[in-house]
Amino acid sequence: MSDRTENLLLVLPGLLLLALAFFLPIFQMLALSVSGPGGPTLEHFARFLGDPFYLSVLWRTVKLALIITAVCAAIGFPLAYIMARVGPSLRLWLVIMVILPLMTSVVVRTFGWMVLLNRSGLIPQLFRDLGLAGRSFNLMQTETAVVIGMVQVLLPFMTLSILGVITRIDPRLEEAARTMGCSFLRTIGSVVLPLSLPGIVAGSLLAFTLSASSFVTPNLLGGARIQVLASSIYNSVTQTLDWPFAAAQAVILFVGVILVLIPYIKLTGRSDG
Amino acid sequence: MKSRFSIAVLSTSILALAAGAASAQDKTLVINSFGGAYEAAHKKCIIEPFEKATGAKVQIVTAYSSDAFAQLRAQKAAPQFDIINFSGGQEIVGASEGLLAPIDATKLKNAGDLYDFAKANLAKGEGPAYSIAAIGLVYNSDKAPKAPSSWKDLLDPAVGEHLVLTDISNGYGMLGFLMLNQVEGGNLDNIQPGLDAVGKLLAGGAIVVSKSPEIQQEFAQNDAWLAPYASDYAFTLRTAGLPAKFVQGAEGTPASYITTNLVANRPNQDLALQFIDTSISAEAQTCFAEALRYTPTNSKAKLAPEVAADVAYGEEGVKGLIRFDPAKIEANRAAWVEAWNKAIAK
Repeated sequence: MSDRTENLLLVLPGLLLLALAFFLPIFQMLALSVSGPGGPTLEHFARFLGDPFYLSVLWRTVKLALIITAVCAAIGFPLAYIMARVGPSLRLWLVIMVILPLMTSVVVRTFGWMVLLNRSGLIPQLFRDLGLAGRSFNLMQTETAVVIGMVQVLLPFMTLSILGVITRIDPRLEEAARTMGCSFLRTIGSVVLPLSLPGIVAGSLLAFTLSASSFVTPNLLGGARIQVLASSIYNSVTQTLDWPFAAAQAVILFVGVILVLIPYIKLTGRSDG
Repeated sequence: MKSRFSIAVLSTSILALAAGAASAQDKTLVINSFGGAYEAAHKKCIIEPFEKATGAKVQIVTAYSSDAFAQLRAQKAAPQFDIINFSGGQEIVGASEGLLAPIDATKLKNAGDLYDFAKANLAKGEGPAYSIAAIGLVYNSDKAPKAPSSWKDLLDPAVGEHLVLTDISNGYGMLGFLMLNQVEGGNLDNIQPGLDAVGKLLAGGAIVVSKSPEIQQEFAQNDAWLAPYASDYAFTLRTAGLPAKFVQGAEGTPASYITTNLVANRPNQDLALQFIDTSISAEAQTCFAEALRYTPTNSKAKLAPEVAADVAYGEEGVKGLIRFDPAKIEANRAAWVEAWNKAIAK
């Protein structure tokens, strides 16, 4: 048996799984999204793109994903920098702290936020007691709640992506910048940040795609009134039983995510080269 | 969905085999029930007394109305159920398709005690309603500044952010919404007045939930005062230690009928009729009302005052019951759910 056939045999189970569990359903979904009573049709796409309601759902999905990604990057970058520059034992603890939320199910984590954010929960209560908010102040079922919940879920992905890159940056580059008269912030801005860009981009990609397609957290924290694309797909599948329309929405989400990915990948390609 | 359905069909056919084996004695009935607390009460109030009285055996297949109806349709050539229970008005379609057998009211000795609306179309094949989920106003009797009495009270600005609405993907939520729509001047051909009212309520701070346990959460933790919902749920809230009460709205009480139907082309029809007779008896209905707070349809059902307070009780109570045409709801469901989702989206 040649090396080639051996390799082929080894890769076969994985390929089969991929074909059955990924390509087949995707293909079926594509077929479903253009199916109509009288043969192939684009009416489901036309209906989505011609309806301001669904366009606003799409816009909210993209907007929330962008905000969540930005917040994750803003918190994740300094956190990753500190983690890279402290001693090994402290770094271990920080890594554990960042990863810890991933150890429980997303439903459990989200439920924790529901307890904290609802009308009589700790956080709105605190705001009220401090006189910062009115009696009816409530964070549940708001976009803010979705952002808070999603940032917690996605922060580890962002932080660890950046951490991997920053640990490989030579600390002497920073020392050189400092001896040349750069302030600390200037060093970060003109040396560390540009060099860690590939990590930030990779983390942002993860955070953006995961939050654009997330369902559980927006649904539990946003409620029925804050619809994102994933919940709209869910409604079409389970409530109105309009599967072709659901498939069309899924395709739009899929294409939208790919459209965002392409320029991002091109950008990193350039900055690496 | 499909696999669940085929499992259900499979289990039904296994049961049917068992039923076939037992039918030498002609003493086995196959029925559906709805699972959970409902099925437990069903057993205690109807099935066990029936088995004791007749010596027959009742086999239960747990299937909700729409699933049970799908099975009934699929088995048209060789039906496997003797009795089928519906809560979503499926008997109207089932009777018109000839899947259900007409019932001769003279063969039911309890039929005379039923309110007229509960036995209106027996001769057409629509089985009698043996209990009713009444939709009215569930309110917090400690916190609400005044007890609500009319559907218009939902629109009271004082209630504002203490109001809980239920998504219309939920059956009770749908009925409550249709009633609000009717009060606001709409009808089943025009739900815009209802949607406008909901828009106003949401602007006033009302909350929308999609599942009934969330109503409990709102009452327990989020200072909810009022929710248009089913009478049995006020009881559920009270059992959980919350000060909840149920009241019928003055303009009428939308009702979800739970009917028990005779399946056509089955051998044991006399025994099945006896089962239906047991289901509509005053004892069975009293028991159901005590266990779950469903409204009885038998005028002889005697309820203790604290039970009666939770349901639409007596001649006066059932007078206001309204049944929105289930066939029309089904035909419009998809369009209404979409319109609702658009109306409540922020």
